[in-house]
Amino acid sequence: MERPQLEVKNLRFSCDGRKILDVTYFDLKKKECLVLFGPNGSGKSTFLRIISFLQQADSGEIYYQGEKAGKKNRLELSRKVVYLLQKPVFFKGTVKDNLLMGLKFRKIDSPQQKQRLERISELFALNSLLDRSPLELSGGERQRVHLARAFILEPEFLFLDEPFNGLDVQFWEEIIADFYRIRKASGVTTILVTHLRQEAAFLADRLAVMLKGEIVQTGSLEEVFSTPASPEISRLMGQETLVEGVVEDSNNGFLKISARGQTVYAFGHQKTGERVVLTFRPEEVVLALEKPSTSVRNWFHGQVYELRPFDRMILVSLNCGFKLKAYVSRTSVDELRLTLGKKIWAGIKASALAIRPGYQTADIKFGG
Amino acid sequence: MTLKEILEITWLSLLVSGFAIGLAMLAGLPATVVLYLKKFRGKRLIISLVNTGMGLPPVVVGLFVAILFWRTGPLGFLNMMYTPAAMVIAQFIIALPLVIGLSLAAFEQVDREILLQARALGATNRQTVFLLFKESRMGQLAAIIAAFGGVISEVGAVMMVGGNLKNYTRVLTTSIVQETRMGNFSSAIYLAIILLALSFLVNWFLTSLQQKGVSRWKGPSWK
Repeated sequence: MERPQLEVKNLRFSCDGRKILDVTYFDLKKKECLVLFGPNGSGKSTFLRIISFLQQADSGEIYYQGEKAGKKNRLELSRKVVYLLQKPVFFKGTVKDNLLMGLKFRKIDSPQQKQRLERISELFALNSLLDRSPLELSGGERQRVHLARAFILEPEFLFLDEPFNGLDVQFWEEIIADFYRIRKASGVTTILVTHLRQEAAFLADRLAVMLKGEIVQTGSLEEVFSTPASPEISRLMGQETLVEGVVEDSNNGFLKISARGQTVYAFGHQKTGERVVLTFRPEEVVLALEKPSTSVRNWFHGQVYELRPFDRMILVSLNCGFKLKAYVSRTSVDELRLTLGKKIWAGIKASALAIRPGYQTADIKFGG
Repeated sequence: MTLKEILEITWLSLLVSGFAIGLAMLAGLPATVVLYLKKFRGKRLIISLVNTGMGLPPVVVGLFVAILFWRTGPLGFLNMMYTPAAMVIAQFIIALPLVIGLSLAAFEQVDREILLQARALGATNRQTVFLLFKESRMGQLAAIIAAFGGVISEVGAVMMVGGNLKNYTRVLTTSIVQETRMGNFSSAIYLAIILLALSFLVNWFLTSLQQKGVSRWKGPSWK
């Protein structure tokens, strides 16, 4: 088994007698994007700052590629890492000055600086912005510069603290797609902190859930979304259904996807043969005893394996080859006479499906 | 008053105030960095003392420096009373709290997240401090401008510890007092114009440094 790139053991931090962090074990595998998911105030940012050596823990051990972090190797290890703050703050000067600042801190020579600047400007489409002040840029452009400032350093580890927070939906979609593409191409081992389910679903190779300073569940997206370890996590994950598939046909933005033996129709710009992850919310699902003739394109036949009260609704879990969740009212449960083991139809409109983007990354060159 | 005398007086004024400001920056700026970046007991008290010191009356400074260097004083053996060195020390004491106080205020204007981001991008302690100065350059130069203006125009302390000795400790401000007392208003006016011009030139130079690069961001502007 491959050794984790980062291991954290018994990390504890408290402030004014209040426990902020208590992480017994955490690991990060090579080239993965681990999404650290949790509500605001759960200790995610503190955790990132501590493992980036920007803040001191009360106790605990941090190992980078098997090397235990201590006072002597702190600077050396910290330079393997780039940590991006939640708020994009910029140094005085132009976009170019800002991009080069980290390279200057690390004493990278001028020809290398020039080479990396050219590559990153190209990759993040920043060529026309280089001589402008970051203060003149739009929110999306600033976020792009913020991210580029990390990638230009070609770090081994990239830690991002809610980097896409507060962006317009349009900017968010653009930048998250760019980030996904560039991160995959660079192969940088990443931790991304977020409290947004959609972001987690789009970007995570693996998910770690943090609640009240503790990592309460770690696993693949499907594991955490479909089998949350506690009701609290279940509430946090929003009961979204998540399923992996492959695009069988792509026609003018309308996709035919094969997912766990089922055919799913959705809207997206993915190409044929691409691997995708589909997500949809339980409130978008309709249930029926017979498959009706409606405009709803996706109908899945499955067996009820769980009926659970959830807030004022009933959460119905079906096995349709993948685990699907639906909210229905108590009246609907009675009318449909839903019981465990009963076979029913679940329908979802193609437009209600969100698709995690997949990209062709072969054409992007990264690294020296 | 001959041209040679005027040139000597002007040169000494520049020399004394320049040295005093230089020393105040050498001692004050590292102290400001410590005050800004470090957490320690008594920090608030020190900052309050610095802020009080910014309004220190020059004659009070002159009095204490005079007591210190008086022949029978604790440092009397150094024979520094009525020397340019004593004038530098007096002006240094006046300038120091101005440099620290205004410099600290300039640091406070810098978003702390910028420093954190710099660290996160790999900056060492030294690089972070350098960045702190770079980010607060406008405020830092304002601190130097204010401190220089404060000491070059100061008369009480230099008169008390320098003694206004001809060809030795006479500077522009003490000469203006002297010439006015003697009724030589034309000489006093000439000297005053030189003092003003000198003050303007130094401030113009520092302001040019301060404003360099400000025009990069073109908006928003008031029309």
